[in-house]
Amino acid sequence: MKVSFNWLREYVDIDLAPDELGEDLTMAGFEVESISKVDTNLNNVVVGKIVSLKPHPNADKLSLCQVSTGGHLYSVVCGAANMISGDYVALALEGALLPNGVKIKNTKIRGELSQGMMCSEEELKIGRDSQGILILQDGLELGKDIASALNLEDYIFEINITPNRPDCLSIIGIAREIASITGKILKIPKIEFREGNEKIDKLTSVEIHDPELCPRYSASLITDVTIGLSPFWMRRRLESAGIRPISNVVDVTNYVLMEFGQPLHAFDFDLLSERRIVVQRADDGDIFTSLDGMERPLFSDTLMICDGEKPVAIGGIMGGLNSEVSEDTSNVLIESAYFNPTNIRKTSKKLGLQTEASYRFERGVDYGGVIRTLNRATQLVLDFCGGKAAKGVVDQYPSPIFPKEISLSINKTNKILGTSLKKGKVKRHLKGIELDVKDLDRDKVIVKIPSFRMDLHREIDLIEEVARLDGYNNIPTTTPVVRVNTAGKNPAQVLQDSAKDILASMGYLSVALLNLNVEHPYKRFVSIKNPLREDQSIMRTTLIPGLLNTMKTNVYNKNLNLKLFELGTVFYSVEHEKLPKEKKMLSALATGLRYGESWSFPGEGIDFYDIKGSLENLFEGLNIMNFSFLPTPDIPYLHPGKSSIIMVDNTEIGTVGEVRSAVLEGYELSNNIYIFELDFDLMVKHTFSDKKIKPLSKYPPIYRDIALIVDESVQFKDIYNAINKLSNKLVDNIQVFDVYRGISVAHGKKSLAYRIKYQSYERTLTDKEVNNIHEKLVSNLVEKVGARIRE
Amino acid sequence: MKEELERLFAEALAKLKSAVEERQVAEIKTEFLGKKGKITALLRGLVNISQEQRPVMGRLTNEVKVSLEEKIKESLAGIRERKRKEDLLHESLDITLPGRRVPIGRKHPITEVCNEIIGIFLGLGFQISEGPEVELDYYNFEALNIPKDHPARDMHDTFYISDEVLLRTHTSPVQIRVMEKQSPPIQIIAPGKAFRCDSDVSHTPMFHQVEGLMVGNNITFGDLKGILTIFVHQMFGDKTRLRFRPSFFPFTEPSAEVDMQCVICRGKGCRVCSFSGWLEILGSGMVDPEVFKIVGYNPNEITGFAFGLGIERVAMLKYGINDIRMFFENDMRFLGQF
Repeated sequence: MKVSFNWLREYVDIDLAPDELGEDLTMAGFEVESISKVDTNLNNVVVGKIVSLKPHPNADKLSLCQVSTGGHLYSVVCGAANMISGDYVALALEGALLPNGVKIKNTKIRGELSQGMMCSEEELKIGRDSQGILILQDGLELGKDIASALNLEDYIFEINITPNRPDCLSIIGIAREIASITGKILKIPKIEFREGNEKIDKLTSVEIHDPELCPRYSASLITDVTIGLSPFWMRRRLESAGIRPISNVVDVTNYVLMEFGQPLHAFDFDLLSERRIVVQRADDGDIFTSLDGMERPLFSDTLMICDGEKPVAIGGIMGGLNSEVSEDTSNVLIESAYFNPTNIRKTSKKLGLQTEASYRFERGVDYGGVIRTLNRATQLVLDFCGGKAAKGVVDQYPSPIFPKEISLSINKTNKILGTSLKKGKVKRHLKGIELDVKDLDRDKVIVKIPSFRMDLHREIDLIEEVARLDGYNNIPTTTPVVRVNTAGKNPAQVLQDSAKDILASMGYLSVALLNLNVEHPYKRFVSIKNPLREDQSIMRTTLIPGLLNTMKTNVYNKNLNLKLFELGTVFYSVEHEKLPKEKKMLSALATGLRYGESWSFPGEGIDFYDIKGSLENLFEGLNIMNFSFLPTPDIPYLHPGKSSIIMVDNTEIGTVGEVRSAVLEGYELSNNIYIFELDFDLMVKHTFSDKKIKPLSKYPPIYRDIALIVDESVQFKDIYNAINKLSNKLVDNIQVFDVYRGISVAHGKKSLAYRIKYQSYERTLTDKEVNNIHEKLVSNLVEKVGARIRE
Repeated sequence: MKEELERLFAEALAKLKSAVEERQVAEIKTEFLGKKGKITALLRGLVNISQEQRPVMGRLTNEVKVSLEEKIKESLAGIRERKRKEDLLHESLDITLPGRRVPIGRKHPITEVCNEIIGIFLGLGFQISEGPEVELDYYNFEALNIPKDHPARDMHDTFYISDEVLLRTHTSPVQIRVMEKQSPPIQIIAPGKAFRCDSDVSHTPMFHQVEGLMVGNNITFGDLKGILTIFVHQMFGDKTRLRFRPSFFPFTEPSAEVDMQCVICRGKGCRVCSFSGWLEILGSGMVDPEVFKIVGYNPNEITGFAFGLGIERVAMLKYGINDIRMFFENDMRFLGQF
């Protein structure tokens, strides 16, 4: 909320500088987000009084004025027509530079000397009115600098008012807090005016058909008003609060809204059929045109203010076009009411219409202040719009709200806060914000809550007030005494950390992807009713699109060698369950050069075996032992010949492969992108926790190589398994060290070279004995797999 | 003969002195000490001298032999040392060429900062809890004392799945899930993702929070201040000043916003802190009795505090990042810096 420093000072004396006040308000729970200085930059513009005015001898539309600044008399030629002799005006003297760039000089206009210029608001850039010159209130000090005479220099505080403090959505509310902080007295304006003789009950009536939605409705009536511009200071204050001035009657209702926080509405009384008010619900499907000209569909729980035959306002939210105060209005009915906060909020949401009024009603206004603010409005209307007030007010209050009394234990206060406050101090704090406090017993007090503090309804609310008023920073900082417990991460959390560490050590960067994704046809996904963007309209079921999008961003920025991963959640809807299944997935992408650009590494591209190697390292690092890769042509987004299902202990836990080029087209990416996606929850289940080491042999191993020429269709694993089957217990390890296709190997064939490690854990092997075993193995192998030995 | 011995020794030493290669030393050794060497010949000639003189001359000749052998060794060592030095001179590399680096990966700054925060709270005896990201309205709002049609819902721009189901707007629902399952005392943190439909320089539709909850028999507002002070001091340094100011959250009362001294200007006032010298870092408060009632705790016996902090916010301050969207664009040039 925007709050003017000058306006505040009308209700409380402030000795603090604006920034000190801002600090104090912030520390009292009213966070001041900014303070901006309102600077007019007006020099040589002073208060003047027109002492004589006569027509210009040589021009019909000009007049010749004598303007006094107290000590001096100036002749001023003026083109405006809205002033009379005796008016106080803003006089720009020689040397003044107006905000619109006009420089004031003594000059002759049509033969007459003009020693300055009487200015309009618009010319001084202190208001919007450009019709005629600015007429000031009488009695200002003549010759005084205009900025100080009109209090134009100001500071606007932007204050964040929390939803629990609707009472502070007003200047007086904030002033009350300042009074409590600084120990000053709050000065509420005196409300006095002359009533007419005619009783209001004779002129109009109010009926409430729904006391639940409208516990209180009051009205006053002023006849014979003159609609026009409201005074300069009032318009200026409204603008300082971000409210656009409209006309004097409307401005008065808005002024009181800002002053007391009570929304008011003025109706053109002559437009109310049967000259009465009926408060009732609308019917579903009714249409109503609000003040802003919009047609609003209504609902059966929309509370409407009606006249004898039709709705004239949406209760607590916005008036109607059909009863609006206009230039022709002469009789006005002013409404001041208390509406049910929850219903106002519902209606405001349904209509998509939030106003200054609805914002306050939905948070709760001061139900006890309804009449006071009504009278304040009547007073100001009489002051600035003329007219005559009917005698008394209508006050329908079918469901009275009574002030609450709450008991507060000082012991409990201290127990919760960790303080040792004395009862006297607690009482002083609470009395400082206008609460009525009485002793109940040695420990407790009874606190009567004023009607403007609807937020205080439990003991804890009072404890908070005590803490706030004593100052949070005065509460001693302590550390709790706690039971020792087994703090730490659970196995899944530990495994997540390890997985991230292992992948990072292999060059993978961890990315953070949105959990939101574009709709896709594969899975039972969860969709968002109100997405921000079309491509963020479902909860993701896979991390792969996010990785590809990340790659796209990076390729755009010429980051071409990428290894990326994310460990994150995916979501599947489950039948008959309200909440979807959430699962952790671990996915990675690799593309570009294996070692990046380097002066010394060969510029080789990443291929399937790189990402497979990453997976093998990952599994071993996480103690997931029994894993294998099965070829599969069936994964829609992976190349059928370069993809695999990953099995652990006979459970499928993921896939790996090269992304199909058809998929990449959608991301404007080209080939050679390798990806894996693993079900991390399953990995957690298959990690092996009681790992034991294998003993080391004390005896030297003997290595023998074997190179076989086989058909392309024969796979590494076939021969590996065959060797394994044929080998005796001295075969300790089988490794492939070369895969060759080329000159010495026939087309359609390849050479696979294996190195076999013979190792005993009991003795030193001899060449002769190994040779025997190896020769036997080779001949068996050739027979078994139909291989030829490569010489 | 003695003269002859001395002459040979001097001759050998002179030759050794001018030798520059190992080969020359070897030749000198052969010439004097080899099978047919000059000094070897003298030794052999001992048989021809008199009985009395033999032991004296024998000793003398042996001494010369040992001494010469010693000199030869020294000479060899000297030559080798010179050679090594010469070789090293020819072998030098351009050590200013960049090293051969296998690219290493990094963890995302959010992960790093989150781990750091977790580490601090683990050290204070907190345990880690988790909850679903797609959550019931009940846990996200109602059980946290934010009924339907409460103005406080305006503080949360919510993504809805259905009327009852939404993307959690904060990690606070984990508080309720934990308290429903466990009885006090409770001391947990809950790191995780949260969602709000908002997107600009300081908002992304998804962000990360760490929730904290400590509940027991005698937990006070002073304890809240104590724990959070320790946290800020560990995270941002012992000298970081902080202040607690009243605020409003429907599920805590009293509620406090925690500001710390601006880490950029150290409180002097700068653009980052809007010239206030302070940065908002945490929301916190004493658990509202209403919340205790909802989870079935007795608010007359149990007290506690809760807090929540934005991980992105901490990471932005820590690394001087000014656009929150950078975290989710995942540009390698950004990620590679952590």
